[in-house]
Amino acid sequence: MLTLLGMSIVIFALLRFAPGNIVDILFSTGGYVSESDKAAIMKELGIDRPIWVQYVDWLREIVTGDLGKSYRYDLPAWQVIKPLIPVTVELAILSTAIAILLGVPTGVISAVRQDSALDYVLRVVSLAGLSMPSFWLGMVIILGLVAWIGWIPPVTLVSPTEDFKIHAVQFLLPAFAVGYRSSALIMRITRSAMLEVLREDYVRTAWAKGQTGLIVVWRHALKNAILPVVTIIGIEFAFLIGGLVVTETVFNLPGVARFLVQAIIWRDYPIVQNLVMFIAIVVILSNLFVDMLYGWLDPRVKYGD
Amino acid sequence: MSRSPLVASILVLIVVVLIFVGAPAISQTPSSSPKSGGILNAMQREDLPQGFSIHETATISTVFPAAACFSNLVMYDPMKRVESIDTVVGELAEKWSWQDNYRNLVFFLRKGVKWHDGQPFSSKDVKYTFDMIREAKDAQGKLRLNPRKDWYANVDTIEAPDPHTVIFHLKRPQPSLLLMLASGYSPVYPAHVAAAEMRTRCVGTGPFKFKEWKRGEYVELVKNPDYFVKGRPYLDGIRYVVIVERGTKYAALQAGRLDITFPGEGTKTIADQVKAAVPQIKIETVGQTVVDNLLVNNTKPPFNNVKMRLAASLSIDRRAYVRAVHQGGAAVGASMQPKPYGVWGLMDKDLNALPGYAKPADDKAKARKLFAEAGYGPQNPLKIEMATRNIPIYVDFASFVINELKQVGVEATLKQVDTAQWHPLATRKEYQLGANLTGIGADDPDANFYENFACGSPRNYTGYCDEQVMKMIDQQSQETDIKKRQQMVWKIQQKLEEDGARPSMSWRLDYVMQWPYVRNFVPHNNIYNYGRMQDVWLDK
Repeated sequence: MLTLLGMSIVIFALLRFAPGNIVDILFSTGGYVSESDKAAIMKELGIDRPIWVQYVDWLREIVTGDLGKSYRYDLPAWQVIKPLIPVTVELAILSTAIAILLGVPTGVISAVRQDSALDYVLRVVSLAGLSMPSFWLGMVIILGLVAWIGWIPPVTLVSPTEDFKIHAVQFLLPAFAVGYRSSALIMRITRSAMLEVLREDYVRTAWAKGQTGLIVVWRHALKNAILPVVTIIGIEFAFLIGGLVVTETVFNLPGVARFLVQAIIWRDYPIVQNLVMFIAIVVILSNLFVDMLYGWLDPRVKYGD
Repeated sequence: MSRSPLVASILVLIVVVLIFVGAPAISQTPSSSPKSGGILNAMQREDLPQGFSIHETATISTVFPAAACFSNLVMYDPMKRVESIDTVVGELAEKWSWQDNYRNLVFFLRKGVKWHDGQPFSSKDVKYTFDMIREAKDAQGKLRLNPRKDWYANVDTIEAPDPHTVIFHLKRPQPSLLLMLASGYSPVYPAHVAAAEMRTRCVGTGPFKFKEWKRGEYVELVKNPDYFVKGRPYLDGIRYVVIVERGTKYAALQAGRLDITFPGEGTKTIADQVKAAVPQIKIETVGQTVVDNLLVNNTKPPFNNVKMRLAASLSIDRRAYVRAVHQGGAAVGASMQPKPYGVWGLMDKDLNALPGYAKPADDKAKARKLFAEAGYGPQNPLKIEMATRNIPIYVDFASFVINELKQVGVEATLKQVDTAQWHPLATRKEYQLGANLTGIGADDPDANFYENFACGSPRNYTGYCDEQVMKMIDQQSQETDIKKRQQMVWKIQQKLEEDGARPSMSWRLDYVMQWPYVRNFVPHNNIYNYGRMQDVWLDK
């Protein structure tokens, strides 16, 4: 709660430090400025009041479950934000899943086959993933598709009930673009953790007891090497909730991050404040989940003693 | 010779593939009679600022998706590219008549027209709309923002003597009023719906009705079955898809996800790339009535001195600007859109006689001389700040000007200003030089001169104010003889350039792209005035 309260102060203050406000933007679409009209609109929106009053009002709104009204759209903020969240969460989950599916096995294989040709190939592939910005890869995918087959996924969101296959493609392509980069990171962490664990006495003992490679590597070694990997996955997931700006923009997906940028440009305080708070909550929950996962994965880790 | 069977086989294969794959597309002959049905997917460059409230904005991002929902009293013929007084046709007004030597403009309205919510349309809606815009004392509505109040400064009263007649009483003759009323910026609003509601939905009398606006994603309009033109519109609906990323926009066009581009978005470079990738895409080059103009602050030193303004103007090679910044995708012109894209532009010989338009080396030498006379030179260079919006098209413009000024010994530094700060800065005249883009609602001298050059106009960012020019503007505005008016407008343009009032760099061209199956989507020489879509159909 303290973290969230601190976040709320930082978000609120930073927004007010940015030059201009929604009324300036409105007048910029009108191409002129009238000081009297400006004052009237500021009053109408309540942004002429002292900043601390606005802050307290916002906190009160959050507590009562009312997120305020979007300045730009003249609609309840929740009504504007609500459809964005599933898009970003779905994309983040898919990206993370792809990252895990690509990163963990390749990291394990790379560690087991250390310094083999396969290891070198996988390390080059992972290095490419780290070096390649996901938005660039996204744009290459879009342009490649249009150049080679004259087709790209729909540019408006297709719901799974409407057409599941198209929906899947719409999300899998950006998820791959994002997940590839994350998988590279996961692969490298997995590899280094595995290399360390594979040299442990208990692994040697397992080999000596004649257990199969699969059991030694996946049950004994990976289970003990997975903690740093889980940490990275948790951090990556939390980052993806707010960090998919360019990917959502390139694939034209109406998610949180893309909308947040537009809201910042428009100085739509209620939208920005609430979206950033949402991202902060996801980060906190994601970290909490990872911490709880530690306890499950490693019985030595105990909380509350 | 041994390869010939292989080559022949490949050729046969290509022919077969073309027959089965390519031929249907190639052999599609244009259908002469319009077909009804289909959804047009239109590009939308950003989510709608201020929703559908056309009267509260000055941006095409609102006008284009909202235009199909509304109707004007009169409009520019949708099928004619270059707009003029001769291309104005009736819309809600069946006919109109100038009376009392252009002092009264009488509109005879269509009967049986309904708003999208079923309410009948009448003259009181017209009076309500234009009284609200001109902020008449007895206006029944109020706009939150009102960028075009000045367009109607010459309207004394608006009278609605019966439900189907409206009379605009003018303070003095003004033939151009009709052209401003034909602009996409002049729809009639319903008197029974608050103007503020247009920010979230639209209620009009236009060919398409509001269906849905998914914020940040798309706007969907559907056919209005009660549209007052029988048999129109042809389309079942229009979907304006918001795509911000430029690469994605044009990939979507190439892939057929979009049927048409957004007005003002097509540059020459992009058009060339798209044409190379998809040769069947149709590209039309039209004027935009958007001018890149140099804001020279007339109210503060050093540019409150006419010689300094003239020197700044002389320093800039307009043709090099068009080549470098627009890759040839713009036209050089003074303060009115040049021919053949516009009607009122100066003839080439007159244009070439203006400072900065003909011989760059000579002009730069003159500029150096003028700066030297004011005491600036290599030992004491003039140091100024060049302000502009932090948007690439603005920054490119400003950077070019800075480089040109450097060649005459002026040291200009670039100041990038956030969008939120740009218009406040320009309006308060807190700059020395500024790189600016101005879109004009109608290719008409009144719409341009009163808005951008008249003393006291809120959009006269340079603060230029000259009594003689004001008289000239008023005179041309009242002139009913087109040829005489043209001469007057040319003189005003020359005077404005000689005064360095707000030097024009170039007039942007638009490369409008559309798939060949889209019919009757005719881009105009003004980006604001061809969004109605009632005649557009899909030949699929």
